Amino acid sequence: MATRDPLDFDIGVEDDEDRTPSPSSISPPSSPPSYFDRDRHVAFFEMLYNLMPYHYQSQEINRLTLAFFTISGLHLLKALDRVDKDRVVSWVLSFQAHPRSRAESKNGQFYGFHGSRTSQFPPDENGVSVHNAGHLASTYCALAILKTVGFNMLTIDKESILISMRNLQQPDGSFMPVHVGAETDLRFVYCAAAICFMLEDWSGMDREKAKDYILNCQSYDGGFGLMPGLESHGGGTYCAVASLRLMGYIEDNLLSKNATSSIINVSLLLDWCMQRQAIDGGFQGRANKSSDTCYAFWVGAVLRILGGYKFIDKIALRQFLLTCQSEYGGFSKYPRELPDLYHSYYGYTAFSLLEEPGLNPLCAELGMTDLAALDRSIVLHHCIYTCNLCFVQVSYHTVKENSTRLLCGEKSLSPQQKPWCGEKTILTTQSRQNRFDSPR
Amino acid sequence: MESSEDDGGEPLSRLAEWRDVTPLPQDDGPNPVAPIAYKEEFRETMDYFRAIYKADERSPRALRLTRRAIHLNPGNYTVWHFRRLVLEPLNSDLDEELDFIQRIANSNSKNYQLWHHRRWVVERLGTNVRAKELHLIKSILSLDAKNYHAWSHRQWVLQALGGWEDELDYCQQLLEEDIFNNSAWNQRYFVVTRSPFLGGLTAMRASEVRYTVEAILANPNNECPWRYLRGLYKDDIESLVNNHEISSVCLKPCQEFRDAVVALWTSDSLPLDPDLATAICGILEHVDSMRASYWIWRKNKLPVAA
Repeated sequence: MATRDPLDFDIGVEDDEDRTPSPSSISPPSSPPSYFDRDRHVAFFEMLYNLMPYHYQSQEINRLTLAFFTISGLHLLKALDRVDKDRVVSWVLSFQAHPRSRAESKNGQFYGFHGSRTSQFPPDENGVSVHNAGHLASTYCALAILKTVGFNMLTIDKESILISMRNLQQPDGSFMPVHVGAETDLRFVYCAAAICFMLEDWSGMDREKAKDYILNCQSYDGGFGLMPGLESHGGGTYCAVASLRLMGYIEDNLLSKNATSSIINVSLLLDWCMQRQAIDGGFQGRANKSSDTCYAFWVGAVLRILGGYKFIDKIALRQFLLTCQSEYGGFSKYPRELPDLYHSYYGYTAFSLLEEPGLNPLCAELGMTDLAALDRSIVLHHCIYTCNLCFVQVSYHTVKENSTRLLCGEKSLSPQQKPWCGEKTILTTQSRQNRFDSPR
Repeated sequence: MESSEDDGGEPLSRLAEWRDVTPLPQDDGPNPVAPIAYKEEFRETMDYFRAIYKADERSPRALRLTRRAIHLNPGNYTVWHFRRLVLEPLNSDLDEELDFIQRIANSNSKNYQLWHHRRWVVERLGTNVRAKELHLIKSILSLDAKNYHAWSHRQWVLQALGGWEDELDYCQQLLEEDIFNNSAWNQRYFVVTRSPFLGGLTAMRASEVRYTVEAILANPNNECPWRYLRGLYKDDIESLVNNHEISSVCLKPCQEFRDAVVALWTSDSLPLDPDLATAICGILEHVDSMRASYWIWRKNKLPVAA
């Protein structure tokens, strides 16, 4: 059975993979519903949150990822009340690898989060974490979980994470997920970018080098492969575009801006993405392959980021996804198969992109609930805001409110230093919210 | 040397060999989230693994234990990492290791850790195993011609160890078997642009255009050759537009105009006959109705006729 990073896409799935068995507490209806069956999905994910069937033991190494799917999934379904937030926070934090000193965080190891207890041992008598195996994907999942449950991110020891994360970046700009050695590809560039974005601190990576690696991954047909030279792929394309967006190299809603120059070939990319919607309404990951639930997210999110999601045939997509909806709750990869955690999660994100009522809005770049959009009440008085894109601090005087988003009118430094200087950029107050608000 | 026999699935606690080891249970803390209902064999194997790993015991029995753990959990990168640590001091036969990986790959051909491990072994064996590797990847691709991991490994082997000579022929063969195989088209592009034996994209362009146009005429509704054709003119759109052979193919009346636009569609900055382009967008709105909004948007973005 294949490993399940959130970014394992479908190139990690075996055809005979075991599926989650139906929970005995849920009895299937006589015929499958033709609507998004939220209640059934909540029951399914609540079950998994409380106990995973043995079929998932081969994904043991990615426990944090499995937990991320269940918790973030419940949040998307507006059922986070099923989750004990304090318990989650203490459990997640227990996976963090801690160096003994600031100096030690430069010793080559990665002081992020372990993915599971398999490789995590209690510190020895000197308080050292022996066999540290912090992993980039686990770290991304850990931080995403903490944000989801409203944990105050400012209390995390982000210095160790960021300083040691630089050790994982390769000369070509790509990232290795663990310091002991592993494959390097776009998935981990994405994890690194998402980590820096969530910690609001880009000292963890060399963005320019990462950008160069990403650009080398754009294929002749406009999509992106997971490594330079590889076939363009929905998951690789997501990692590329979302990373560029998070790092600030492409602006939001690029297509509506009539940008004549962009660092990527946008029109070719857009055309490639559009062709990924197949005749059955679903999205495929590569040309001439079968439609699969999860690409409704991977490719759909790229379109959303570019501002082209409006072009897809939403009715046809919805119809396809509903054929993959399981009567036991959750979604399967292909129509009328048994559901699994991964495809269920991305089924929910896909429905969120479709703006299904009853689901939380999605942050396409992070693949989870858009927490900033949820925040309706923004404290404006006596606050300093940091622009997440140009990192200039602006006082509330220069800020004007536009529903839940604030626009930064501040001009800042030279283009060499910041990707979006001198332009109108979008800033979020999330960074300041956490300091002043109580946790959700 | 590692035994080729498995332990037969006997509980480790019942084996004399492991009597001196105290298994180290996982400490999940008092309130674990999403706990997994491990089967007994799994739990026990991992408890023994933890014990050996913590003690950093690099012995033959440790090697056998990693094999057992890998069978149960081929995605566990910690176990693979430890196996590498154990292989080195034991001076193990790395050719045998390749066979071991191959056996695991039979039921796990889409597993990142396995392929990374294979790369590690091949790096140590060098160009001697080049032919064997390329042959092995071919056999995996014969079962699934689009296995992304296999293609990734193949590209790595070619770049690290060479063996480019027959690669274009191999692409040809795969495309004869399935002209719709996008992985094979991608590999063709990879070979044409990077092979030290072929002279690069510009030198190969004329022959590749001929090949691709043939493929298009045989199956005009196949997306792959259209995109490939466009890719052949990556940095030289002007030549694409001026190529009469291509224009005639694109304008040939055929059922599926949809793909015709892909090749014709150049960047918006080049002068296009706006009437023709508008007409094509209009047709596409109808024959490719799934993407109607997209074609309307494209039409509206066309430069206005002077």
